[in-house]
Amino acid sequence: MLKEFNVLITGVGGQGVILMSELLGKAAVRDDLKVRGSEVLGMAVRGGSVSSTIRIGSEVYGPLIPTGKCHLLIGMEPAEALRHIACLSPSSLVVLNLRKIVPFTVLLGKSKYPSLDEIMEKLSTVSSQVIRLDAAQLAEEAGSPITANMVMLGAAFGTGQIPIKLETLKAVLQAHFPTKLAPVNIKAFDLGYHACQQSLK
Amino acid sequence: MKELAISADAPGEKLFMLGNEAIARGAMEAGVQVAAAYPGTPSSEILENLARVAPKFSIYVEWSTNEKVAFEVALAASICGVRAMASMKHVGVNVAHDPLMTASYIGAKGGLVLLSADDPWAWSSQNEQDNRYIAEQGYIPILEPSSVQEAKDMMADAFRLSEEFKHLFMVRSVTRISHGRSDVVLGEIAKKRRKGAFAKDRSWLVYTPVEARRNRPLMIERFERIRRAVNTLPYNQLKLADGARLGIIACGLSYSYTLEAIKWLELDDKISVLKIGTPHPLPQELVKRLLKSVDEILVVEELEPFVENHVKAIAGEANIPVRIHGKDLIPLIGELSTRKVTEAIIRLTSAKPPVNFSEQDRLGEESAPLLPWRPPTLCPGCAHRASLYAIKSAAQKVARDYGKDTEPIYPGDIGCYTLGYLPPLEAVDTTICMGASIGIANGLAHVVEAPIIAHLGDSTFFHAGIPPLINAVYNKANITVAILDNSATAMTGFQPHPGTGHTATGEETTPIKAEDIARACGVKFVEVIDPFDLKKAADTVERAIRFDGPSVIVFRRLCAIMEQREKKQRGEKTVPYYIDQEKCSAKCDACIKLLGCPAIMRENGKTTIDSSLCTGCGICAQVCPYNAILQE
Repeated sequence: MLKEFNVLITGVGGQGVILMSELLGKAAVRDDLKVRGSEVLGMAVRGGSVSSTIRIGSEVYGPLIPTGKCHLLIGMEPAEALRHIACLSPSSLVVLNLRKIVPFTVLLGKSKYPSLDEIMEKLSTVSSQVIRLDAAQLAEEAGSPITANMVMLGAAFGTGQIPIKLETLKAVLQAHFPTKLAPVNIKAFDLGYHACQQSLK
Repeated sequence: MKELAISADAPGEKLFMLGNEAIARGAMEAGVQVAAAYPGTPSSEILENLARVAPKFSIYVEWSTNEKVAFEVALAASICGVRAMASMKHVGVNVAHDPLMTASYIGAKGGLVLLSADDPWAWSSQNEQDNRYIAEQGYIPILEPSSVQEAKDMMADAFRLSEEFKHLFMVRSVTRISHGRSDVVLGEIAKKRRKGAFAKDRSWLVYTPVEARRNRPLMIERFERIRRAVNTLPYNQLKLADGARLGIIACGLSYSYTLEAIKWLELDDKISVLKIGTPHPLPQELVKRLLKSVDEILVVEELEPFVENHVKAIAGEANIPVRIHGKDLIPLIGELSTRKVTEAIIRLTSAKPPVNFSEQDRLGEESAPLLPWRPPTLCPGCAHRASLYAIKSAAQKVARDYGKDTEPIYPGDIGCYTLGYLPPLEAVDTTICMGASIGIANGLAHVVEAPIIAHLGDSTFFHAGIPPLINAVYNKANITVAILDNSATAMTGFQPHPGTGHTATGEETTPIKAEDIARACGVKFVEVIDPFDLKKAADTVERAIRFDGPSVIVFRRLCAIMEQREKKQRGEKTVPYYIDQEKCSAKCDACIKLLGCPAIMRENGKTTIDSSLCTGCGICAQVCPYNAILQE
């Protein structure tokens, strides 16, 4: 029996981080797995940093991932992935959306945004595998730029590490979205899934 | 396969729930009939979920004007024999404190539950106050869940306990319970509804000194009965390990971190653990049994040493020679985590760290300087940005008349507009509590010579802004009050309030206008303006500040997020603005430096507008000195 699998999703308010963890959690419960998770809401719609945890397994009790115990980090935004580097270990997998969101404080000259190279270099010193993709581009391909979170969810499943059945997650997606919107979201999910599988080959 | 609703009458089914959904579900299972609240993170979703099922289960649900009223509404229902609850964030309980301290003298007829959602680390709050002390002060027993499942179970049980002991109960949640998520096994929903009846009886309902003196001993007696009973409640559990030298007493959510820490250190069966679900009153018999069985105790709890101090008192009174640790090893500040508990246990045992914590810290510290500062910010199209810009430009102009070094002062309040403290607006000089903008402005007016412009939102004005406004008129405080009316309690999730014309359950009601209240308070300068007309808004602010006596300006514009939603429903298109690159100097940066709108970006040396974010408010076009910003 699975003891513990920890997923951390990080990003910026408005990227759909909370929805991703909700869908993962619902699917895990349908698969009869024990689930714990947590997020900080409230500030989430206003462009601030957002992170959400989903923990699955029989020995999971608390809502937060213990230091160094993150198995899979889904980074919706490069700098926001780096912000959580301390939760990673050499066995952690990172799935990273390369599309930057530069905060207004950078425009005002109050802070700096690192280069992608710097971010990659840091993440690669810890995690053995960082899978990179341009989720925004794949979302456009799917037919809607706002489905980048579904692309990333697909990519996360593409790693083959998440202990939830693929068909369960898809059934949850189908049930969650209105009939009109389900196909584009599922297409985005599939594009992310295949992009991840390609890069693992 | 459709997902079950959280109100599904499906006992035994398992659902993935947010903590606040589970709390609402628990109340449904108990057959709550009256629920009142004022929105506040992390508590708001409780009442929202109850409002959705109000007709289905015949629950009376209201957003009250503030927490004091919410609690009084629930108290009245309880007095009439109906199960009732009030839910609020930790600082909301301060507002309800007055009736609360006498409510415990009254007790409860219908089950009465106060849900306090505390916010360790102040994720969305002005402080980290620990409401267990408020409960202690009022002889109010606390149920504190260790998980989302237990939050539901305790909530359902709290009403029963309240009736059994004829006393009100507090259920204390924290952010990581209220905004935690978990699989939850549902219970049965109570269907029976009682009819409320008010039986006149001044002996327990009219508090003159006579009744206070009569009822205080009765209250203490009820509480002592509860103290004895908590030893056998399922929420308190003692697990003694054979030959254990160390015992851990873990309160509420800390219990889940403790379980994980013990597993992480592979110390299962080597440490005795007392799970505390009732920090007040503590299960004294269980505590004593644990104290007597070990050499050392570690008390694990978030924030203050509440349980720790009580355990120390129990050990002292019973003369038990045991070393008690708590806040010497567990941080006083912020949330706990499995790691923090693990590190404390390592200090008391010879256990080896499961990971190299300092190495992990180094990773974070080395990356921190690379990271951009990403605070939450006012949304694109937010009317508060325009209002604060207009207020600032007018106030700075008037301040020059006071003297060349005079700065206007902007006492601020609690809401989205608090984010106006950030650059570039920097138009918030104080934020303390609901309504304090006007109260602080009152005091400032009597000690400094400068333009004083308090600003607060519409919901905050109805909540706590009216008495200090009356005070300003009565005591002649020469201040300007800007009511930023976006027709919503936006920060907490766009809940309706007395100004919106809608109740919690969507019924139409009389909308109350802030300007009518201001006039009725005796304010002689009251004007209503549209913040998107920057020039007129600034002119009005200037006249208001120069007016001799208190002045009120209502800045009225619907919340941008709600506006976008409504437009979508109406099938209307948003027409975004763009920057004409030939006209733009790309050097003056006025749009960026004055407004800080997230839709304005800089790419390859050009200033541009992200058309997917722009709501077409046009404020940037009004501040551009080159008229380079145009609508598509």
